[in-house]
Amino acid sequence: MRSIISIATTTVGEAIRRKVLLIILLVGILFLVVAPGLGVLSARSETTVLRGMMLGIIQLTSAVIAIVLTVYMIPNEIERRTIYTILSKPVQRWQFLLGKYLGAVLALGLMMLLMTAVLVFTFWLQQDRQVSGIADLIAAPLMYFVQMSLLAAVAIFFSTFVAPLVNFFLTGGMYLLGSLFNPFFQTLQESQGTPPVAKLFAQFVNTILPNFANYNIQNPIINPGQQIQNPQAYYMQATIYGVFYIGTLLVLGILIFDRREV
Amino acid sequence: MIRKPSTLLLAIGAICFLGQAALQRGVIFDKWKKDYSPGRGQMVAGGLSPDQMLFALTGFREMVAGILWVRADSFFDTGNYDAILPIIRLVTILDPKQIDVYATGMWHIGYNFTDEEQRSDRRYIPSALALGKEGARQNPNTYEMFFETGWMWYHKIDDDYGQAVKWFNEAQKREDMLVARKNLLSNAYERNGQVPEGIETLYTLYESAAETAEADKQAFGNKQNKETLENKLDTAIVRMIQRGFIAEKEGRPLVGYDVYPPFDVNFSAKVTVIDPRVLKVEGSYGVLPVGTRIRIVLKDVDFPNSVPAGMEWDSSNDVNLDPPKKSTFMQDQLFIRNRKFNRKIDMSKDPTMYPFTGQDYLVEFYYNPRSAPPHIQDKFGFNGEGFTDKNFLNTEVREGQRVLYTTLKLTRDQILRRGEWKDKVPVVKTSNFVETGRNYFGDDSLTIDLPSLRN
Repeated sequence: MRSIISIATTTVGEAIRRKVLLIILLVGILFLVVAPGLGVLSARSETTVLRGMMLGIIQLTSAVIAIVLTVYMIPNEIERRTIYTILSKPVQRWQFLLGKYLGAVLALGLMMLLMTAVLVFTFWLQQDRQVSGIADLIAAPLMYFVQMSLLAAVAIFFSTFVAPLVNFFLTGGMYLLGSLFNPFFQTLQESQGTPPVAKLFAQFVNTILPNFANYNIQNPIINPGQQIQNPQAYYMQATIYGVFYIGTLLVLGILIFDRREV
Repeated sequence: MIRKPSTLLLAIGAICFLGQAALQRGVIFDKWKKDYSPGRGQMVAGGLSPDQMLFALTGFREMVAGILWVRADSFFDTGNYDAILPIIRLVTILDPKQIDVYATGMWHIGYNFTDEEQRSDRRYIPSALALGKEGARQNPNTYEMFFETGWMWYHKIDDDYGQAVKWFNEAQKREDMLVARKNLLSNAYERNGQVPEGIETLYTLYESAAETAEADKQAFGNKQNKETLENKLDTAIVRMIQRGFIAEKEGRPLVGYDVYPPFDVNFSAKVTVIDPRVLKVEGSYGVLPVGTRIRIVLKDVDFPNSVPAGMEWDSSNDVNLDPPKKSTFMQDQLFIRNRKFNRKIDMSKDPTMYPFTGQDYLVEFYYNPRSAPPHIQDKFGFNGEGFTDKNFLNTEVREGQRVLYTTLKLTRDQILRRGEWKDKVPVVKTSNFVETGRNYFGDDSLTIDLPSLRN
């Protein structure tokens, strides 16, 4: 366990020192800061648009950070040969991979925390320093964090056997597909003309694909008039789903990484 | 050295995989579909390009919707109305929960497309209503789109008040309905000929307002609302009596009530095509008080979904931003002054709105006492009991209602002053039209005797 923690903390340190990630973070924060100045709409529209934009910026920036952070993680260690130093110590490969993943998730969490702080501060100012409603707002970045942890797991899994550039597009494509498939499956399900075989196939894909759309829970937060029963239960279920999927990907990654010549 | 995979690891992997699959299939997808899906299972995809569709389905749809809405706002400021329509459509698809966009879009489509003389392009109204219906379907928990759709029927279409009643009633069922807006339901009932239901609504609202006012005596708004309702109720009851509504319900003769005897408005009209696409409409209507407006419609004889003096407004469930552009539908009001009307209708500056591609056109004149202002209704009654016209009273074009309705015909060549009409002035008129110069009425006995309230 100690070796996992030690690899994770080192990874966090490395991530924070990476200029490219800091620049992406800075751009994201810059957008968050200027977003309230965009357009003068009606009071309700302004809040709706601002919430939508700020949450979108956090999600988009986090996705880019998650992919950029993780696709290079394992290949860089192999390329720089630092992996030999680590693996020559009493550290198992699974511990190395798990440590790297946890470090990436921790670094991602720190960066998302910073963006969420800007979001909260902006709304605190906008609401005349009132804290009401801010707790609801935070639910979205929390779910994005689970989503991005899942995305990082996808990237880590691919990084055990493909080159970083290929991994970048593969993970990005998987994110897009995983975001699209829930609505696509729903349309297929509700369409009268879809052949049963196609429905069955879509159901199969929907079951095995990482469904990133499960974490896009921002709409009721952006448009607060909606009545949703027990959203907390859904958040919990989606989080458990994420943990299970991350577990699957990490196990697969460990199995592949274990068999890989480095 | 490559090791054999550990059984424990494989077991963990299998449990995780099966766990995620069970959660996704058993719980999450259904709940996601119910609460978080774009459009809650009523996703509208028609007319979307693949890139728009991509945005609509990914997680960034609210962000993109926000950016587009800000852009649309800048188009409002610059008056670039045509550019706003596709943006509104896209925003409502991206985020069907943005009620402001639905409400603004509906108003924009229904009211803002006008010609040079500020006449609305009514070919858009079915689309505006379709947007309203979609907005209500997507946001069933709030009153807003139900009210907005009702308002479109009540105010803009100003004809089929049964629809206004239906939508206002739906709005009333929602808890967040604004108190001040609730009163409109009684007006809609009244205009729909359901006077007792209107009174009943006022009583219910009054009781609730009285309770609220009693509970918080300091709140001025509560007191004001109660007094407004009290006043409305009082006026409505007096009107019911004076207009002979109760007497009629009880089968008593209407002699002695304000609506008796029915007043003959003696309508006549003449339409002259004074220039290509420019009409001069003049005629008589024997009502002296101001506030009377006769509807005039000029449309293709074969206008799609046509009904007398209108169209099937509720004919579309799809928000089609391209109305029937080859068809012409002009609707305007003829304001009565000194018992006559005289209006120039210029359609020459807006060929897109008035394409005149068909061969034959219908000019329709329509007056429904239900749409009349209260001081006119004091004579004509709630349902036109005190209204008649010896030539053009019609009880068929609006089933069970006493309205004025007649038509004249024009051809495309006449309207465009082409062919044989190049040098001749086309004139069409009702058979009873009399050229009387400035005054259509020589006999003062035709003047309406306008009753005053509570005399």
